[in-house]
Amino acid sequence: MKESIYGDHRPAMEDVMNIILGSIDELRANMEEQYLTDPVEHCLGRIKSETSMREKCVRQNLPETTESALNVIHDAIGIRVVCAFISDVYSVRDHLKNMDKVEVVEEKDYIKHVKPNGYRSLHLILRYDNKYFVEIQIRTISMDTWAALEHHIHYKKAASENDKLIIAELKRCADELASTDMSMQTIRDMIRKEL
Amino acid sequence: MKLLLAEDTVDLNKVVTEMLTISGFDVDSAFDGKEALDLALKNGYDGIILDIMMPKLSGLEVLKELRERNIVTPVLMLTAKAEVDDRVEGLDAGADDYLTKPFAMKELLARVKALTRRGRDYAAKELSFGDIILKSESLELISENTVRLSLKEFELMQTLLLNQEHTVDCNYLLEHVWNDAEEVTEETVWLYVNFLQGKLEYIDSSVVIKGEKGGPFQVVVNE
Repeated sequence: MKESIYGDHRPAMEDVMNIILGSIDELRANMEEQYLTDPVEHCLGRIKSETSMREKCVRQNLPETTESALNVIHDAIGIRVVCAFISDVYSVRDHLKNMDKVEVVEEKDYIKHVKPNGYRSLHLILRYDNKYFVEIQIRTISMDTWAALEHHIHYKKAASENDKLIIAELKRCADELASTDMSMQTIRDMIRKEL
Repeated sequence: MKLLLAEDTVDLNKVVTEMLTISGFDVDSAFDGKEALDLALKNGYDGIILDIMMPKLSGLEVLKELRERNIVTPVLMLTAKAEVDDRVEGLDAGADDYLTKPFAMKELLARVKALTRRGRDYAAKELSFGDIILKSESLELISENTVRLSLKEFELMQTLLLNQEHTVDCNYLLEHVWNDAEEVTEETVWLYVNFLQGKLEYIDSSVVIKGEKGGPFQVVVNE
């Protein structure tokens, strides 16, 4: 068997992933106590598979080495947090940024600055303990729904006339979902204010 | 239905005001162009009747000023028979109809009814204010990002934008956006104002809706 592209780092990587997942669990418990509701709908962590990582190295013209996998590519450890409401996305982000031993390498807010195709999500790249990079995607249920369904629709991203229509319609769906997302947020905020 | 009548001939103003009031309209009367413009900027109307020859500001000047400020309220111009150029210029400047003096009251009433009936169809396909664009065909509210509004959200936003020069009270919104539907209250208006406020923030706009629960409301650009 070929040696792992992650060398002997895998157990340490799993530890980092679990520390971050554990810290999110802690936030969930605290917020549930305070507001009686869990801000996180679900949360997934994964170590990128050997195959995917090697393919990504090849795609990016990188040597298939541990150095490439851990230090050049930043999503060997990936976590996706799916939240109930838009404001919860930012609570989770703030919590992660304030964690011990965590340094924010990059933050991309595709909720404030939506991608042209309609994709909305908040992306963070963190570095834990000056060592492992972790890519985190935080978004609401409806943003996740759109991303998941869009992924299922196999259309050519290079635009023929017909694809242009599909791209525009997918964007319309994203903007409609976003509108509803904000309405639900407004309703929750009003109820919280009244309580 | 609220109308603004601007006519400097006192007697004629009085007769027309009475006739329109009897026909169920709520009428504000102005006696010169300046007064008419001030009223039109301060209040929302469903229709405006402008005499073309008036002291201080002519009807044409008032009309141009209104259209320049995005106020698309339907306008009926009253002109003298000889003034063909005025009629043409009035229509060019954004008047929706004209009537030559002397006119029959019946005809004026019929034209005013037709004018206000058309009402909302007159609204532009696209309204802009500050850093936002509101598109009536797609119900899109656009700034840095875009959202698609629901129909009532759209109508509320449109009404606020068409009345951007002044505040709009709850009753006006209940009448014009919700057609005085029975189950709709001040609470509904407040919820929808909040929906729009949230969405303005969400598209990263600097436009906000000012006002407390119960109104009145106005769109403003937050510096």
